[in-house]
Amino acid sequence: MDILGYLNQHGPELQTQALTQVYIVAVTVLLSVTTGLPLGILAARSDRFGEFIMGLASILLTIPSFALFNLLSLFILNFIDPSLAFGDPPTIAGLVLYAQLPIIRNARTGLKAVNPAVLEAARGMGMRPLQTLLRVELPLALPVILGGIRQATVMVTAIATVGAALASNNLGRTILDAVGSSTPNRAAIITGVLFVAAIGIAADTSLAVIQRLISRGRITAAAAT
Amino acid sequence: MIEFKGVTKRYEDQVAVDHLDLVIKSGEVVMLVGPSGCGKTTTLKMINRLIEPSDGVIEIDGVDTGTVPVTQLRRSIGYVIQQVGLFPHLTVAENVATVMKLNGWDRQRIHKRTEELMDLIGLPYQEYGKRLPDELSGGQRQRVGVARALGVDPNMLLMDEPFGAIDPVTRDRLQEELLRLQRIVRKTIIFVTHDIDEAIKLGDRVALYNPNGTIAQYATPAELLAKPASDYVEGFLGAGRLVRRLGLIPLASVQIPPANGGRPPDGGATPPEVAIDISGTLRDALDGVLRSPDGRVAVVRRPEGEGGADVVGILDAQAIVALGR
Repeated sequence: MDILGYLNQHGPELQTQALTQVYIVAVTVLLSVTTGLPLGILAARSDRFGEFIMGLASILLTIPSFALFNLLSLFILNFIDPSLAFGDPPTIAGLVLYAQLPIIRNARTGLKAVNPAVLEAARGMGMRPLQTLLRVELPLALPVILGGIRQATVMVTAIATVGAALASNNLGRTILDAVGSSTPNRAAIITGVLFVAAIGIAADTSLAVIQRLISRGRITAAAAT
Repeated sequence: MIEFKGVTKRYEDQVAVDHLDLVIKSGEVVMLVGPSGCGKTTTLKMINRLIEPSDGVIEIDGVDTGTVPVTQLRRSIGYVIQQVGLFPHLTVAENVATVMKLNGWDRQRIHKRTEELMDLIGLPYQEYGKRLPDELSGGQRQRVGVARALGVDPNMLLMDEPFGAIDPVTRDRLQEELLRLQRIVRKTIIFVTHDIDEAIKLGDRVALYNPNGTIAQYATPAELLAKPASDYVEGFLGAGRLVRRLGLIPLASVQIPPANGGRPPDGGATPPEVAIDISGTLRDALDGVLRSPDGRVAVVRRPEGEGGADVVGILDAQAIVALGR
């Protein structure tokens, strides 16, 4: 087992795969926030909708990732444009669905934890609902919302490797090839796993730092749960 | 002037406020007081339409509030609540500036006005402007709440049990401060409280609610204490009402029997050991009588800058009771 030797031999290949991995995670998180945050706001406003959408998001998480990516590829993306049916697109699509639960749940929790007296003061001073949301509710809930984004990021960083089975050239490729060969290459597997872990930890740490910086006076994750 | 004309608020099978007719004059402090659930808070919140009336009209200076866009209405009325509701993620200065920003003031004007208001409440900008609400005491937070409500210099201030959750010593100071502030700013203040002493201390007029959403008596504190309109009102005012009434009568406003002209009330020749300043009330004089060994107090006027005091007159318990009637 020679990790350094493997790194020497496959350096450029690993670099490409790592960049793809980062790209997939970044796009996934961006798309997940743009969909999950509005859903989380609606979920905080209406308990009926909140329970429905969180139930749905929970069910999505029970679908095995390999099956989910393939189902999206075969039954949806293939009909939109066959070029979307392989590689990164089905991977990202599946990951966005997985990321909904932590993002919606945390947005809902954070918004519901805003002190009602603060909201009454905002209303009584003549803030419109949108002004209250943008100037008071979202800023106050931001640390909790970021907590959800953090969870989602770490989760999709790991699951993204499954996309290799649909020809996404990410770090999963290295692991899958090594596992699948007749003589499993342990150095390759461990190298791939370490790279994935490094990306996950780096993303998590930087989000944690941001979270701490913006927490002053706001609702902290601990207070909201 | 605020005028309630036949205002009713119904919830399903319950009536919170029942055919309310009430006139609040500009520049007056009107206290809405009564037991829990009597409709006093509902009355207050109907003024800035946080609650919409089921029936009737509320006019401000002759304009039906129902015809004014609701955000515009609220931005023109100061609003202070019990839990203060400061924005915890904004600094004290940013909190004070909230309504100015909503009204689209420019930065310079906001800065100037914020400094002015923070001076007014005794929390100077230099020292407190950049702090977060969490770094202030409860009393300081409540003062910031008042400054925020005064932001764009509204004519009217709605205060919903603003001192309800504050310890008695701080509450007393905040009440004094509100009176001092009111002498400067002269706003129309509608103030909800369940504390009759607070109502009597702060109010130019008191609206005492029945438990069922109607007003039992609407009068000045002195009238209320002197002539309760019903047994219910008398019961609400409680046992100490006549003593409290003495607290509303300034010594300067009554005829005090002179010390020399005519004999002092008990005919004694020695001057009383306890002196009370003329700036006090009959209640202060009664206090003095109770701690005076001979049951008499001298009411004195101290000329500014001099050591001595002129004796205006002498009072004993009997004289105080007579003056208080």
